[in-house]
Amino acid sequence: MTRPLVLVVDDDPDILDAICDILEVERYRVARARNGLEALERVEAERPAVILLDLMMPVMDGVAFAHALRERPEVSDVPIVVISADGNPARAASVGARGYLAKPFDIEALLGHVAALAGPGGEPRADA
Amino acid sequence: MDESAAGAGAGARGIDVTDGSDSGGDSRRAGFLGFVAHEVRNPLSTALWSAELLSRLPAEERAGARGERLSSMCLRSVARVRQLVEDHFLCERLDAGGISLRPEPVPLREVLEAILARPADRGEVTLDLDAGLAVAGDRTLVERALDALVAVASADRAAVHVSAREAPGGVIALVVAGQAPAPDALADPTKGSPSEARGRALALPLARRIASALGGALAATEGGYVLSLPRAEGYIARPTPAARP
Repeated sequence: MTRPLVLVVDDDPDILDAICDILEVERYRVARARNGLEALERVEAERPAVILLDLMMPVMDGVAFAHALRERPEVSDVPIVVISADGNPARAASVGARGYLAKPFDIEALLGHVAALAGPGGEPRADA
Repeated sequence: MDESAAGAGAGARGIDVTDGSDSGGDSRRAGFLGFVAHEVRNPLSTALWSAELLSRLPAEERAGARGERLSSMCLRSVARVRQLVEDHFLCERLDAGGISLRPEPVPLREVLEAILARPADRGEVTLDLDAGLAVAGDRTLVERALDALVAVASADRAAVHVSAREAPGGVIALVVAGQAPAPDALADPTKGSPSEARGRALALPLARRIASALGGALAATEGGYVLSLPRAEGYIARPTPAARP
């Protein structure tokens, strides 16, 4: 069975690396994008099970990305969890997000949201 | 180069030295504090996550490539938080008038050479200014402002060229040319250097406040920044070792 793909969208390279590490340890497949435009390309390449989306980004921000996503019928229902440092959950609701995590959030909170929307990551590693 | 930016107080664009600190600027101040919080939360997140991930990794993996990368990330993130906190504290102290200035002649070349002698993630920086050029100001603040401007101009390891000239009105205009600023970079911190990997997101707000505190101005041009400060009258540069008898 294919492990769920999680798309992580954030302009901060350390944030991308850290969240991808967290997910990979839990045996999720991950794709990454540094802005909304890159995220649209990733979504078109392979439909993710869930999108973790920062809002404040250059080139195309998270709000514009969410609206563009909703206009693509084949992926419009992909759930979004907003991961933001702005401390404003109302902005997450405005883009139709299924969840909101305020940075710095707990790792377990992140995994809880992802598992609820995408299912478990995969079999535990033999060495874990 | 925008010549109108040469003098202290000369308005190139966005020279609003009161942002967030004037009585009518409550919403701007709230916006600035929100920006600061946003900038601190990102590296704080990666510091916490990388430390927690390290603690979860099996011992052999902790000693491997992933462990090394996470350790580096943790240290880098903490350093970034420290830079942001230091810059924010100084911004706040300047806004509150909580700093006793110690005016003295500050030789620009000497200060810049001291800055460049410190290790930092930046591209090549070249200097084109006489050793005898000095501004009247608090040396610590001048150094912080120059350090901030060099850091912002060297984003993405861009080459930086620093020059200075005497401008009308007893002013020295220091030109820091490098990575071009975004439009409104001075007026709006979120357009300056947000999410900057070295923690320099507050560099421009800080340099603006310092310029104002020292009776000068900061302007953005197409190719960089112009920091204008009052010239120190009658300053004589210390002789270099080679010139001593």
